[in-house]
Amino acid sequence: MIAGYLLLIGGLIFLSGSALAAFYWAVKDGQLENLPEASLVIFDDDEPVGTATDRFPSSQ
Amino acid sequence: MNPQSLISSFHPANNPDTLASHERAEIDASTRFPVLLFFASAIFWLLIGSLLGLISAWKMTHPGLFDQMAWLTFGRLRPAHLNTVIYGWASAAGIGVGVWLMARLCRVPLLHSKLLISAAIFWNLGVLVGVMGILAGDSRSIEWLEFPGYATPILFIAYAFIGIWAIIMFRFRRPGHVYVSQWYLFAAFLWFPWLYATANILLVWQPIQGSAQGAVNWWFAHNVLGLWFTPIGLASAYYMIPKVIGRPIHSYYLSILGFWSLALFYSWNGMHHLIGGPFPAWMVSASVVASIMMFIPVVTVAINHHMTMRGHFGALKWSPTLRFTVFGAMTYTVVSLQGSSMAIPSLNTLTHFTDYTIGHAHLGLYGFFSMMMFGAMYYIVPRLTGWEWPSANAIRWHFWLVAVGILLMVVSLSIGGILQGLAQFDPQVSFRSSLDYATPFRWIRGLSGFLLLGGHVVFAALFTLMLLKVGRQKEGPALFAAPVKPEAAPL
Repeated sequence: MIAGYLLLIGGLIFLSGSALAAFYWAVKDGQLENLPEASLVIFDDDEPVGTATDRFPSSQ
Repeated sequence: MNPQSLISSFHPANNPDTLASHERAEIDASTRFPVLLFFASAIFWLLIGSLLGLISAWKMTHPGLFDQMAWLTFGRLRPAHLNTVIYGWASAAGIGVGVWLMARLCRVPLLHSKLLISAAIFWNLGVLVGVMGILAGDSRSIEWLEFPGYATPILFIAYAFIGIWAIIMFRFRRPGHVYVSQWYLFAAFLWFPWLYATANILLVWQPIQGSAQGAVNWWFAHNVLGLWFTPIGLASAYYMIPKVIGRPIHSYYLSILGFWSLALFYSWNGMHHLIGGPFPAWMVSASVVASIMMFIPVVTVAINHHMTMRGHFGALKWSPTLRFTVFGAMTYTVVSLQGSSMAIPSLNTLTHFTDYTIGHAHLGLYGFFSMMMFGAMYYIVPRLTGWEWPSANAIRWHFWLVAVGILLMVVSLSIGGILQGLAQFDPQVSFRSSLDYATPFRWIRGLSGFLLLGGHVVFAALFTLMLLKVGRQKEGPALFAAPVKPEAAPL
C-alpha cells in the first residue's frame, strides 16, 4: 500500500519534472523560434513544398 | 554485441554514422520489418476484435445467442472485444505508425530494431494471453484493464522496450527542429508505460480500497485516449496532411500551442466519468473544468487542419491516405467537442448509462483513431514493400464500408441513447422499459457491424496482397520517389 503510493508520487514528480525539463529545453534550444520556417522540416529537395505524394493507384 | 559497443550505442557522439545524411527511402526501408510486423498483427486483431464486437452487438437484441457456451457470454465477450481492439488493434497499429514516423522525423535509419521486434512479440503474446484469459473467465472487471494479472506484465515489457527505443531514437536524431509530430509521439511513448504501470500497481498488485479504485480506473481509461491514442493520431495527421498535399501546416504556432495545452489539460479529464458518484466534489469539478478547457487544443487542431486543407479538398478524390486522414481529423473535432459537452453535469445525467456513451466511444476510437491509422497505413505500406496497392476500387470499398458503417453506428446509438435517457428521467417508466426505447437502434447498430467487418476483410485482403506482392509491380504515383528496393524479404 505504502509502496504503491510512494511509487505513484515518485512517478508523478518524475513525469511532471521531465515534462517541465522538456519545455525548458525546447525554449533554450530555440525550438520555439522561427516557427514558420520550422514547419518546412518535413519537406526535402526531392519532395518539396507543392509536390503531392499520394494518389489512388488506378489514376496513374 | 560486446558490452563496450552496447554502451557506446547509447550516445550519438560514439556513432560516426549518425550525423551523416541518409536518404528518406533508406530510412523507410530500415523500418520495414518491425513496422510491418506491428501492422500485420494489428490487422489480425482487428478482424478478431470486429467479430467479437459484432457478436456482442447482436446479443443486445438476441440475449439467447450462443448462451450455451460460457466463453461466449456477454460478460466475457464484451471485455474481450474492448481489449482486443484497444491493445491488439489500435495500440499495435499506433506503435507501427509511430515507429515509422519517428524514424522519418529523426531522419536516421531505425536503430535497435531487435528491441522493437521483441516488443512486437511480447505485445502479441500479452494480448493473446489476456484475451484467452478473459474468455476463460479471468476478467478483472475493471473497465479497460480487464486483462488478468498474468497478462499485464507481458504487455508492460513491450511498452518499456518501446519507450527505451524512443529515447534512443530521439537521442540519435539528426540535429535541427523537432517537428510537432515528434513531440506528440515522444510524449505518447513515454507517458503510456507510466500510466499503465501506475494503474496496474494501484488496482492489481497493491489495490487501493473503496471508491478510490473508480478514480484510478477512469483516470487511466481516459488517459489511454488522451495521452496515448490522441497524440499518436494527431502526430499522424500533422505529418500526413501537409506531406500528401505538399503544403506546410497553416499555423505552426497553433500546433505547438495545441500540443502543450493538450499535455496540460488532458490528464485531468478522467473524473468526468464519475459525475454523481461517491467522490469529493472538487475532484469531479476540476475534471469538468479541464474537459471544457480541452476546447483550446481541439480548436487549434481543427483550425490548423482545415486551413491547411483549404483549397485542396479536391485532393480527397485522389489520395486514399488523405481521405481516411481527413475523415479522422474531422471526427476528432466532433468527438472532442461532444466529449467536452458530455462532461457538463446537466447533460451528463441524460447521457450517462445509455447507448449515447457507447456511440461516443466508437466515434473516438474508430471514427478518429482507426481512420487515422488506415490513412497512415495506406501511405506507409507501399513505401516499405516497394509495391503499389493492388486495387483502387478495393480501397474505395474499404473507405465507404467503414465510413458508412461507423456513421450509422454512432447516429443510431446516439438517438437510441437519448431516447433511453429521457425515458430514465420519467418516473412512470421502469428501468427495464427504458431499454426498449433503444432496441430498434440496437438493430441498426448490429447491421453497421457487418459493414465494418466487411471493410476490415477488404483491408486485410489488400494488406496480405501487399505483403505477398501479388500481381505485377506498378510504377505508381504513390511512390513518386523511386523506392529503394528492400533486400530479399525476411517476411
